[in-house]
Amino acid sequence: MVGYVCKYTPYLVIESLGEKTVRIEPKISSYEMSNSLTHPNICSYAKLVLEEILKKKTDKIILTNCCDSIRRLYDILEALPFIKFLHIIDLPKKRDQKGRFLFKNEIIKLIKRYKEFSGKNLDIGNLRDLLNNLSPSIEKRNEKLNLVIIGGRCKESIIEIVEEFGGNILYNLTCTGNRPPYRPIGINEDPIEAYANILLDSYPCMRMDDTKERLDIFTQDKRIDGVIYHTVKFCDLYSYEYADIKDKIDIPLLKLETDYTDTSEGQIRTRVQAFIESLKEKAKKDIQPKSTRKDLIVAGIDSGSTSTNAVIIDANRRILGFSIIPTGAKSIESAYRALEEALKTSGIKMEDLSYIVATGYGRISIHFANLEVTEITCHAKGAFFLNKDIRTIIDVGGQDSKVIKIDKDGNIIDFVMNDKCSAGTGRFLENMSRVLEIPVDRMGKESLDWKEDLEISSMCTVFAESEVISLIAKNKDRKDIIRAIHKSIVKRIISFIERINGEPRYIMTGGVAKNIGVVRCLEEKLGEKVIVPDEPQIVGALGSALIGLEKLEGLTICV
Amino acid sequence: MEKIIKAYSNLMKRNLDKPELVKFLIKIGLEVAKLWVDYVGDKDAPESLRYLNSICFKFILEPLRDPNNSAFVNLLAPTEILHSMDIYPLFIEAYSSFISGFYCENAFIDKATAEGISDTLCSYHKTFLGALELSILPKLKFAVTSSILCDGNSNTFRYIANRYKIPYYIIDIPYGYSEESVRYVVNQLKEMISIVEAITQKRFDIDRLREIIRLENRTKGYIRSYLESLKNHTMPNSISLEMYKLFVTHPYMGREETFRFFKILADDVIKYPDSGYRIFWIHIMPYFSYPIQRYLNFNKDFKLIGCDLNFDYLEDMDERKPLEAIARKLMLNVNNGNFKRKIDNIKKLIIDLKVDGVIHFCQWGCKQSFGGFMLLKKEIEKMGIPFLAIDGDAVDRRNNPEEQINTRLSAFFEVLTERGKRW
Repeated sequence: MVGYVCKYTPYLVIESLGEKTVRIEPKISSYEMSNSLTHPNICSYAKLVLEEILKKKTDKIILTNCCDSIRRLYDILEALPFIKFLHIIDLPKKRDQKGRFLFKNEIIKLIKRYKEFSGKNLDIGNLRDLLNNLSPSIEKRNEKLNLVIIGGRCKESIIEIVEEFGGNILYNLTCTGNRPPYRPIGINEDPIEAYANILLDSYPCMRMDDTKERLDIFTQDKRIDGVIYHTVKFCDLYSYEYADIKDKIDIPLLKLETDYTDTSEGQIRTRVQAFIESLKEKAKKDIQPKSTRKDLIVAGIDSGSTSTNAVIIDANRRILGFSIIPTGAKSIESAYRALEEALKTSGIKMEDLSYIVATGYGRISIHFANLEVTEITCHAKGAFFLNKDIRTIIDVGGQDSKVIKIDKDGNIIDFVMNDKCSAGTGRFLENMSRVLEIPVDRMGKESLDWKEDLEISSMCTVFAESEVISLIAKNKDRKDIIRAIHKSIVKRIISFIERINGEPRYIMTGGVAKNIGVVRCLEEKLGEKVIVPDEPQIVGALGSALIGLEKLEGLTICV
Repeated sequence: MEKIIKAYSNLMKRNLDKPELVKFLIKIGLEVAKLWVDYVGDKDAPESLRYLNSICFKFILEPLRDPNNSAFVNLLAPTEILHSMDIYPLFIEAYSSFISGFYCENAFIDKATAEGISDTLCSYHKTFLGALELSILPKLKFAVTSSILCDGNSNTFRYIANRYKIPYYIIDIPYGYSEESVRYVVNQLKEMISIVEAITQKRFDIDRLREIIRLENRTKGYIRSYLESLKNHTMPNSISLEMYKLFVTHPYMGREETFRFFKILADDVIKYPDSGYRIFWIHIMPYFSYPIQRYLNFNKDFKLIGCDLNFDYLEDMDERKPLEAIARKLMLNVNNGNFKRKIDNIKKLIIDLKVDGVIHFCQWGCKQSFGGFMLLKKEIEKMGIPFLAIDGDAVDRRNNPEEQINTRLSAFFEVLTERGKRW
């Protein structure tokens, strides 16, 4: 079995030499061995390929000189004793006549090397057949939401999540998706030359010289409802295209970044689901209320990483009661307890509830809920309900921070959320409170009395902690250090706000909104007052209850 | 001095919404800095390095003064062609370094990342793109890049050119060397020349290019002579000055000033005796880092002997076939292709220059370099030479943990002195 990584790999010639091939798709969650062979900051995918090769002892590999990380991967593999066959294809960036000639010769070189290695001969007739049997790249059409997934290499699991929530991938322009355009090979045509042309004629990736075709689909195909732009951590090639198109195309766009491991699937799921929810909300038209019952009572439960919150509302959208409890080891138990407490404060019995909606990080575990909706949709709904002038919601919770932009009708226009990194979240504040030996709920007030304007330059939690320790060692006042910590959180929030062009009025929700120091720093930076609700932690739960009510009233087609 | 520059930096940062003003402040700041370098300068530096400092300011100012006759280039662009047509190159890495010299890199980088540019991209590119996004970057006539040393080039240049609506040309340098791939590059150089002729309305003269290459060969003769002398002499040096050499060993090779610099350098080096531990640097340098400055700037005990990037292609070029010679120069640069070529070059330099210790700087975002650093480490340690890898950023001060760098450097120099001189 010969492993390869790049879509430009002419793997069919290897099959015609009588060897099976496989595209390496690592299913690994850590970089145990690769970190000792290379730097941790090379592309996450390249590191995982190395990890996979080391674990499975894959001994025959074909790479292309597609990017810096893969070129270095080749150098590292060259030094591994168990590798029997290793080849790198010199892939030209240019697709003109000279580039095609060079690439054809590269395929011939590969055939020659593999023939020498295996002692097998190329079956040219078989290659012609394989090329003629390449399935045509039929565009799937249906009445669902039509999405384009574009960007760097994308795991199959992301596609599956998109499809699970009702998305139809109309185009897949990532490293893993775009198949070469099909065309039959004539009997007098040289199959190797034809193969070189077929590969070079596929949608170009961002390492190629001319990439214009990639964006033509957005102007030419009017069926596209939404775009998912995917990038891989430490692969920088695609951020240019993202920066270029994000303001150019008038189609809703979701930016996803993954490190190609399985560890961030929960967050990916939340973002994809929220995006599809917002697209469906957008498609909502002329739906008449189904139910006008006045006795409806709905519960919303927000299962977060730090706290679980529940809100009970009636048909008049009045809040009857709520609860905020710490999330324990099992999210379902905490959710149940939060619901019980909220019911108690409202004087409502469990059996009187018409509907339960779960949101938040642990929403998928709450089996007794009738519906699960992402916290992004719920926060937007809850915040807009509290104040119709709100256009930007800043939600900073224990593990996630997100900024959501909504329009004058409360529809989500755009949102951005942190990745696995905990910089600028409640978790970061908790860590710092331990280092500074002060309870986290006292940090806000203490920082208001600051004297010296200190800076923490790094946004990375680990580096920031070492900077805080340095400040402590320099005998800096705790009040000033706390303010510097707050400023660093705000720096992160501001970068999120800028990314989606956030507009006033602003509301801050989530546990960190209770920290007056962070709120003041944020107001200072924005030059605007930031609204903080009396109970900033229950906005998500309130939104989920409102969605439940709308669902019963037939006002939403969301999920 | 630092206080004055920081105050100037604050003035620029306060006016980021007035790009024309900031553009003007950058130019004036560089003009003043050039005057300071010419009339005051670094008293500790030898004459040759003081001259180097001066011509680097001259080189960076030329395209800023005459943007209509200038082009954006990368470190390994075929600038000989531009020199032959009297077009000024602005090499983007240098522009970003000077922005960092003005303490403005953070504001520029934040702007680029807020626009969606990856924060894990090399900070030289992020700073440059930030300048573009802030409309502070001057609009030059066109852009030319080669695909080496790193992936960032093609994308950064395409991005700039599309944004400014100026023509650009990417020269794709194949990974492997063959006569067929030389023809592929030559063909591109010809195409590039015809594009440049059309944009600038200037005629390309192959004999003028031959003259440039002749001068380049003579310059390389002095570089080889300097290297030979370095075996028995060590010169006062600093991390900034060693970085400035990148101007003359790359985009400004073939210029009269560059020739003059290496001629004086070759004369200068023999004036100094051999003393101290010989430290060889791999990759670029965070010139602003206090701990590194303390250990390596004009230090009597630890002498910064050189940086691998300044010795990546020292072969003579065939002036009879100038385009083929340029194509070969780019393809045979030790940093193109297999990493072994870089390792072998460094090993040879370590032996030739009797190096006592090696410091490898892992620049934030530079995958092509740090991706192979473990291979390099292994080979250098096999030679019995102490090796230190430092993670940091030569542009963005925020990515440099000064305390950690200081501890590592101190420990490294302790080990070095404990072991004694290697050669």
